[in-house]
Amino acid sequence: MSAQNTNQETQGRMDSEKPRDTMNRRDFSRTLFAGGVLSALTLITVPDRAEAWLDGNFSNREDLGDALKVIEKTYGDIDPYPHKFNDALSKLLLRDLDFAARKGIEKEFVEDYVARLGVLVNKHLKKGVDKFGDDVFLWAMFERTSCGYQLYEYIDIKKGKRSVPCPFKPMLNHLAEELGTLKIVWEDVCSKWCTPTWNGFIKGAGLTERINIKVEPGDICTIKVI
Amino acid sequence: MTQVSRRTFGKQTILFSAFAALSFPGKAMAFLDKIEKKKFLYRDDIGYAMKSLFMTYDGTSKYLHKFNDVVGKTQLRSLQFHINNGLEKEYVDHYIEIMEPALQRIKQQVETEGTEKGLSSLFEDNPSAYQLFERINVNPNQRSFPCPYKDLLHYCETYLKTFPMKWEEVCSKWCTPTWTGFAQKIGIQVSVHPGETCEVKLVSQS
Repeated sequence: MSAQNTNQETQGRMDSEKPRDTMNRRDFSRTLFAGGVLSALTLITVPDRAEAWLDGNFSNREDLGDALKVIEKTYGDIDPYPHKFNDALSKLLLRDLDFAARKGIEKEFVEDYVARLGVLVNKHLKKGVDKFGDDVFLWAMFERTSCGYQLYEYIDIKKGKRSVPCPFKPMLNHLAEELGTLKIVWEDVCSKWCTPTWNGFIKGAGLTERINIKVEPGDICTIKVI
Repeated sequence: MTQVSRRTFGKQTILFSAFAALSFPGKAMAFLDKIEKKKFLYRDDIGYAMKSLFMTYDGTSKYLHKFNDVVGKTQLRSLQFHINNGLEKEYVDHYIEIMEPALQRIKQQVETEGTEKGLSSLFEDNPSAYQLFERINVNPNQRSFPCPYKDLLHYCETYLKTFPMKWEEVCSKWCTPTWTGFAQKIGIQVSVHPGETCEVKLVSQS
């Protein structure tokens, strides 16, 4: 079945379904994952413009070779520590936070991140949450976005909860050994970056009346909608 | 001439190779060590990387997503913020400053191994580079790579409309000062030639 047929079938199904007050787990999953939340959200607002996520074009990509070479290079590099695919990104975020914290502008730095990169989330997320429930918020923050699956080594998904290995704790330790020049500590990352960023998206999407999150930082970080 | 079946020929070839290898212990060790030397093959966590790769490359909506999407966008976002606040120079200076210990180690290697070591340390041997650039072309005294920012900036401005900076500012306010700053610290001099394929060249120091 081609990706296009799947998308058309999904769009047709969603157009014909009426919203329901209750939705069983199978329908919930199918609704979310068949078309993607943002495509569902855009259907709600602009039915003609459903866009696909995980649209089945992996095998048509001609640029996979470069990506595979980077994976081989990354995972063959164990000196001075076993490198992972999210190394560069986690180092960048830590470096950025260190600079912002030194300048005392970490709050503005987070607000800018939410406003500048969260345009689509801020625009559509509330409708999705209203329609499909609070878990959509976590879906949008984690497995739906490349900002999630290119940062977290894996995302453990349970309804109302996501757990991820903290990408920053081990990297901070590596940087402390290699460089010893960053001033932030791990608790700063949780309190000045991760938690305020997630709360920033709740606020940006107009969901402060509806959604509260509880963040349990750790080697495995857990984020729950409460 | 004796007729040899294809199966027998193959079997005999493999046996001959093994005997030849055993006759030359050095070569045998090189042969037997092949898997040992490929650290990649010992990693238990590659599956996670492959899943992330799949999710990235299966997404073609709006544009072809790549492994360096988020690191590129994150860098652009930070640069835009610091430009807006007049802090771009300090942002670059901070990066160079926190890298000082590593840069000093590289400087020592450059002094013993030559200027190419400087380029390799900044690019193909540096995870922050090879996880940012889709590929790095290695030539003597020169490295080149597709610019990760040009297309991403275009997509960000087109779809998000929150990135007013020009691509030339990425080159002039981020990449060039960062590389030239690193190069100065490690005792080499480089020239940067921005483009869809960006080139960084060693400047001869005679």
